Amino acid sequence: MSKRIIIDPVTRIEGHAKISVYLDDAGNVTDAEFHVVEFRGFEKFCEGRSYSEMPGITPRICGICPVSHLLASAKAGDAIMAVKIPPAADKLRRLMNLGQIVQSHALSFFHLSAPDFLLGWDSPAEKRNVFGLIASNTDLARAGIRLRQFGQEVIEVLGGKKIHPAWAVPGGVRSALSQEGAARIRAWLPEAHATTRVALDLFKGVLSTHEREAQLYGNFPSLYMGLVAPDGTWEHHGGKLRFTDSSGSIIADQIDPADYRTVIGECVQESSYLKSPYYLPLGKDDGVYRVGPLARLNLCARMGVPLADEELKVFRTHGHGSVTSSFLYHYARLVEILASLEYIERALDDPDLFSTDLRADAGINSLRGVGASEAPRGTLFHDYTVDRDGKLQKVNLIVATGQNNLAMNRTVAQIARHFLKGTEITEPMLNRIEHGIRCYDPCLSCSTHAAGRMALHLRLVAPGGDVVGEAVRD
Amino acid sequence: MRSALATAAPEGESPGQPDAGDILVVGYGNTLRQDDGVGPRVAERIAALGLPGVRTLALAQLSPEHVEEISRSRLVVFVDAAAGGDGPMDLQPIGPAESSQVTTHAVEPATLLAMARDLFGGAPRAWLLTIRAEMLGFGEEFSSGARLGVETAVADISNLVRSRGNP
Repeated sequence: MSKRIIIDPVTRIEGHAKISVYLDDAGNVTDAEFHVVEFRGFEKFCEGRSYSEMPGITPRICGICPVSHLLASAKAGDAIMAVKIPPAADKLRRLMNLGQIVQSHALSFFHLSAPDFLLGWDSPAEKRNVFGLIASNTDLARAGIRLRQFGQEVIEVLGGKKIHPAWAVPGGVRSALSQEGAARIRAWLPEAHATTRVALDLFKGVLSTHEREAQLYGNFPSLYMGLVAPDGTWEHHGGKLRFTDSSGSIIADQIDPADYRTVIGECVQESSYLKSPYYLPLGKDDGVYRVGPLARLNLCARMGVPLADEELKVFRTHGHGSVTSSFLYHYARLVEILASLEYIERALDDPDLFSTDLRADAGINSLRGVGASEAPRGTLFHDYTVDRDGKLQKVNLIVATGQNNLAMNRTVAQIARHFLKGTEITEPMLNRIEHGIRCYDPCLSCSTHAAGRMALHLRLVAPGGDVVGEAVRD
Repeated sequence: MRSALATAAPEGESPGQPDAGDILVVGYGNTLRQDDGVGPRVAERIAALGLPGVRTLALAQLSPEHVEEISRSRLVVFVDAAAGGDGPMDLQPIGPAESSQVTTHAVEPATLLAMARDLFGGAPRAWLLTIRAEMLGFGEEFSSGARLGVETAVADISNLVRSRGNP
């Protein structure tokens, strides 16, 4: 009998989610680190390739959010060509990104996270997965799959396929929306709205019975970063960077993503290949910021569409200034799905989507180009430096999960402080740490996307560096 | 809650619903990792043959949104790469199997069949066709063994289709 091979997209980081929890002499938790121990090297092996190839290469970074890399890469190419892409191309890219947000958030909420809070943190691991959810609420599980299917359909209608569509290119996109494609998308919308409504009501019920989780799962002050429109409206593809703090105050605004180095520093952990960005003016310790749905809802002035704006008001009743609990990432995802559906509906009425004016042509007009877009998990930067022939000399990718790395560390430490007794690593604690990480929906590997039990390697580290407790969950 | 969602999902034909199909060939793998790309290549080759009643999916990986399409098929052939094995190709029947390690990047065929059964009321008969992989570096070139495996697989699937699922 042969042995099956599972090789996911080229840069898949295989292995466990490795976590170290650091203790002081009294055995109290002082810190935690979430490690990525597999080296991807993606930035390095892209060097020497043409920038125009990057929208075809970088989506292979991820099988879950390939569209995010596709769009950020194409935008970086726009900047190298120094072109303003046709309005139709921008609108079509936006439509695809909305589909991406819906499919990714649906997967995170219904398949990966819902089994935890609907079946119970301490339910048997073999049941706390999508099959447990199917047994407990078949309609919900089916609706979740179909909502994801809808998001994928938007991507497929535009890009020709669901995964790795080579559709966006430097200067624009390859093809417009067809009338038949628009009709396909439109036909889904009533069902997608109904499913989102049910999920929102469901999660509000969960919140009323999960106050402890909301208090303990990554509930701490931090900064928040994301793109906003010039008037502060929620953005997902254009706009400029905004930072806010936990009081809701804007501390930096309308920063051109190309100037991200003026506000974002990157540090590395000795034991991890995942970079840890921070807000540069405040330094690593005070400059921890979160990105993604929670951040985007905290820092925007409004969603810009009526139903989601109503939900945003309710969402904000869970915080003072900002909503600080990472458990509310789940809620924020649902609000963003709702907003995406409304924006998709609005977009379908725009005749520009059927335009044939889709690409701007130009040569190399800038030796550096930065593309930024809101991936489902947070702001994604592609920063390319090229030579006169367009060959890449340097590539820097700042991904959402990296930007949430320091916040994930704090989340794990917070949960460990409340659930760790001595040096005994218990199943209930592992379950909760697993969910604490899952709140961020980290796009690290199959292991961190596992529904039910996550492949997890937890170490308790004493002040001298000795490992005093260890648990591996496959 | 059940009633709201039951109302939301229309009876009969619904958006995104694939045509009631007969045979579905699902080839999956990474086309930038040499022989790991044999699955999508086989699916593309089968699609090019235009066999009546046969639909194909060429995918980077299996994921839950394929469940509904699978449930509407009478027979599904999954095509993947494999390490080892005695010949260039292996064909085994598979059935639904639940897993607590459902991952979004790599849902197993048996897991999809179980989800099709539990969520959409039908798990079709299914075969897993694996092609022996010898080279898994970066690139799109296949090894000679994988090329042979692709040819054999295309021929075998064509025969399977003609025999309506009985090899």
